[in-house]
Amino acid sequence: MRILHVGTDSFGGYGGIALYNRELIAAMASHPSVEEVVVVPRIIVGELEAIPEKVTFVTTASRGRLAYLNALRNARGRFDLVVCAHVNLLPIVRLITKHPLLMLYGIEAWKPLRDPWSNRLLRNVRGVVSISDITRERFTGWSHYAGPSLLLPNSIRAEWYGIRPKNPGLVARYHLDGNRVLMTLGRVIAAERYKGFDEVLDVLPELDDDISYLIAGGGNDVPRLKQKAAGLGIAHRVVFTGLFPEEEKADLYNLADVYVMPSRGEGFGFVFLEALACGVPVIASRLDGGREAVRLGQLGQLVDPTSPAEIRTAIQDTLSARSPKRIPEGLDYFSYGNFERRTHAIIDELAANA
Amino acid sequence: MCGIAALFSYGSAGPTVDRDEIEAITERMRARGPDAGGTWISPDARVALGARRLAIIDLTDEGTQPMTDVDGELHIVFNGEIYNYRELRARLERLGARFHSTTDTEVLLQLYRHDGAAMVELLRGMFAFVIWDPRSRRMFAARDPYGIKPLYIADDGQTFRAASTVKALLAGGRVGTALDPAGVAGFWLMGSVPEPHTIFQSIRAVEAGTSLFVDARGVHDVRRYYSIAATLARGVRDVAAAHLVQPPVLLRELITDSLRHHLIADVPVGAFLSSGIDSTALVALATEATGRPPRTVTLRFEEFRGRESDEAPLAERFARAVGSDHATRLVTRDEFEADLPKLFDAMDQPTIDGTNTWFVSKAAAERGLKVALSGLGGDELFGSYPSFRDLPRIVNATRLPLAAAAAGRLTRNPKAGAMMQYGRTWSGAYLLKRGLFLPDDLPSLMGADAAREGLERLAILDHIAATIEPDPGTPFGRVASLEASLYMRNQLLRDTDWASMAHSLEVRTPLVDATLLRQIAPLLMVEKQRCKRHFAKSPRNPLPAWLSGRKKTGFTVPLAAWAQLQPDGTSTRMRSWARLVMERWA
Repeated sequence: MRILHVGTDSFGGYGGIALYNRELIAAMASHPSVEEVVVVPRIIVGELEAIPEKVTFVTTASRGRLAYLNALRNARGRFDLVVCAHVNLLPIVRLITKHPLLMLYGIEAWKPLRDPWSNRLLRNVRGVVSISDITRERFTGWSHYAGPSLLLPNSIRAEWYGIRPKNPGLVARYHLDGNRVLMTLGRVIAAERYKGFDEVLDVLPELDDDISYLIAGGGNDVPRLKQKAAGLGIAHRVVFTGLFPEEEKADLYNLADVYVMPSRGEGFGFVFLEALACGVPVIASRLDGGREAVRLGQLGQLVDPTSPAEIRTAIQDTLSARSPKRIPEGLDYFSYGNFERRTHAIIDELAANA
Repeated sequence: MCGIAALFSYGSAGPTVDRDEIEAITERMRARGPDAGGTWISPDARVALGARRLAIIDLTDEGTQPMTDVDGELHIVFNGEIYNYRELRARLERLGARFHSTTDTEVLLQLYRHDGAAMVELLRGMFAFVIWDPRSRRMFAARDPYGIKPLYIADDGQTFRAASTVKALLAGGRVGTALDPAGVAGFWLMGSVPEPHTIFQSIRAVEAGTSLFVDARGVHDVRRYYSIAATLARGVRDVAAAHLVQPPVLLRELITDSLRHHLIADVPVGAFLSSGIDSTALVALATEATGRPPRTVTLRFEEFRGRESDEAPLAERFARAVGSDHATRLVTRDEFEADLPKLFDAMDQPTIDGTNTWFVSKAAAERGLKVALSGLGGDELFGSYPSFRDLPRIVNATRLPLAAAAAGRLTRNPKAGAMMQYGRTWSGAYLLKRGLFLPDDLPSLMGADAAREGLERLAILDHIAATIEPDPGTPFGRVASLEASLYMRNQLLRDTDWASMAHSLEVRTPLVDATLLRQIAPLLMVEKQRCKRHFAKSPRNPLPAWLSGRKKTGFTVPLAAWAQLQPDGTSTRMRSWARLVMERWA
C-alpha cells in the first residue's frame, strides 16, 4: 500500500497539528502492508526531525505555492490512500483524488467552511478521522456527513516529559518562590479568546494570596490580559512567560501545581497530556475536546468553563489534596503504541472497505 | 419535589416552636407531596422542620424528609431537584463525605458541610431548601437562580417561619393576614405579585438566586449569588465563543445536556406537548437523547376547534412522527366551572394565569405521570415575545415625541396614552407593554390611600430597572433579562408551581436552567431572535416546516368565553379576569 499525506506541516513544523502529523505519518509507515508514505508539506519552518523509515518527505514542496502544486502533480495517481491532513486543503487534494481520507482536529471543522466548494467536496471523502468525538459530532452536525468516521486521539511520548523538581532558574525568573502555581499554556492571541485565560483570572482574586498564575505563551492578547490582571488587583500574581524555547517546556510544566485550562475551543487539548506526563494534576473543560483528553474525568477534573464557582472549587480541591505528583496510569491510553495500533486499525478498515 | 416548612424561634424572648403549627403548615401542602410527610423538632424545641414528599429520586424511605446527615448533625428540608447531584456526590466522596441514601437531598447536606454558603453556586437545578446547623445554631436557606421553586418567609422578630407556599404559612395560624398594599398594587399592575412582595404584609418571598442565614440576630447575610442580567452581560464579553460552532449544533449539544440532566429520575418523565417550537424541539431532542420518546399530553378546547389556537392537530401529527405515546385531553367549560373553586383554592397568590397549566398538569397526572417536561422559558431565552420587537421601538419612538404622541391618540389601546409618560426608559416601556393596569388606574381598583402606599413601597419602575442591572448591553439582552426576571419569574414559574403541584406533578423546565443560560449567553447575544430558528433545526431530524413555520399562538385557554368576561378594552379581557380573581381568590 502506498499512502500520500498532503498536509500543511509535519516534520520541521511547530505546534500541535505538526506534531500530530509526524506521529500519524510514522504510525502509517510502520504498518506492515504500507510500502511507502509520501509526505508533501506546505511549510517547513524548523529543523527536520528524523524521518521514519518508508517515508519520503518531499522537502521541495515547501519552497512555494508553485513547488507545492508541482509536487502534488508528480504524485497524482500512484497511491492507494490519500490523506488530506487539513480541511482547508480539500480543493488542492481534489487535484489528485475525489476520495481522500480527511483529518479533522478542532475548530476548523466545527462549522461550515468558508469556501462553498470545499463543503461540496466533503460529500465524497472516503472517510474522516477525527482527533476527538466532539469534533466529529460537531462536524457531522453541520455537514451531515454519513460516511465512515473514525477516532484517532493524540498520543503522548511520556518519556519526553517526566516529574522533575521545580527548576530554580525558572522559579527565580518568574518570582515563584514559595508560591503555589496554576498554569495554562497556549497562544495568547485575541482571535482565540476561548482558551480560558480570562476565566482563571476571574477567580484568582478569590483564591489564597500565595497562588500565582503562570500563562505560558505569547501573543497579541497579552497586553489586554495584563491590564485585566491589574484591574483585578492581581497583577503581582500573574506571570506571562511570552514565547519560550521548546526545551524549556517540560520544566515550565513542572513549575505548576495545577494545570487549568477552562477553554471552549480545544479540539482535543494535547497540553493536558503534556501536563499529566509531568505529573501535574489537570483541570479541563466539559465543553470542548479537553474532556476527552482527560478521558471524561478519569485523568483530571472537569469544569464548566462558564462557571467561576466550578473553576474555583476545582482549583481549591486540587491544591488542598496535597497529593504527591504522579503520572496517572491511565495516561497510557494515549501512548504512542496505542496511537500506532489505532492508526493501523484505521488503515485496515479502509483497506477492507476499499 | 415537595412542600417544605421551617420554624426557628431565634429570639431570646421567643416561645418554643409549636408542633401543631409545623404540622398544620406541612399538612396544607399535602398535594405537593402525597407520598410521605414528616416533621422534626429539635430537642430544645427552638427549631421545627416539616416536609411533604413527592418521591422522584431514591423512592425508598431513606429519602424521607426532614433528613439528617450521616453524622446525625445537620438537618434539611428540600423542595426541588438537583440535577447535577451525581457529579457533586462523586466530588464529595473523593473529599471523604459519607452518605446513607442515594438522594440529592443528602448531597445538599454534605455540600453545605464542605462548602458552606458557597454551595449554592455549584448546584444545577430547581430548589428551595432550609438547613438547620446546630453546631453554629443557625439556619441556612436558599432558592434557585431563576426562582423555579418558591420559598416564603415570615419573621416577627422572635420567630422565623418559612414554607413553600403563602397559604401554608397562614395555615399555621401565627402569621398575620393583613393584605400588603404593595403586593396588591403589584398584582393590579403586573397580573401577579412581584417578589419579594407577597399579597400579605407579614410574608416575603426569598428572592430568586439568593441565600440567607438566620441565627440569634435574626435574618442576615442575604446574598444574591446569581443574576440573569449579569449572565447576559458576560455573554457579550464572551462572544468569541459564539462563533466557534454552527448555532443549531451548539444548541443541540447544550440543550441536550440540559435535557439529560432534567431527565434524571427514578420515575417516568413525560412531556407537555403543544404545536410550538419549544415543546416539540424538546421532545425531539429528548427522544434522540434517550432513544425513546417521552409520554406526551396536549390540551384541546372545543372553542378553538378549526382555529390557529387549536394546538391538538399539529401536536398529534408531531407525536405520531416521533412515535410518542400521546394523549389529547379535551377540556370543556363544564369542567372549568367545576374545577374553578379548587383552582382558586390551589392558587397561592392572585394571578391572572395558570389555568392552562392547571389543566395540562391534571391531564398529565391522569396519565400516571409524576414528572413532565415543559418548554417554558423558550420565549424568554430565544426572544419570541412581541416585547423583544416592541420595547426597543417604544424606547426609540419616545425620542420622537410627536410621533409618540400621535401614536397615543391614534390607537384605542388604553395604555397608548401613557406612551410619553413611561416609554422613555426600559423599565417604563416594560410596564407599558406588560402591565395589566397602569399606576393611574389603581385608586379606582384598591382605594386612593392603599394605592398611594402600595405604589410608594412597590416603586415599580425601580423594581423593573433593577432587573437590568448590570446592563446586559444590548436591546435583546435587556428584554431577555426583563422577561425572565419579571414575567417568567413572578407569573409563569409561580403559576406552574401551584397549578402543577395541586395535581402532585413535578414540572421540569430544561430551558429555564442557569447553567444553560451561562453557556449559550454568547450565542444569544450574537444570534438573538434567530436562535429560535436554530433551535427548530437543532434535532438531527429538524422540525418540519409545518411546525417551525407555524405562527406563534401562545398557550391559552378560552377564559373569556368560559368565565363570560366583560369587555375591558383589551383583546384578552385579562383585566376582567383579574377582577374576578381578586374577588374569588382566597
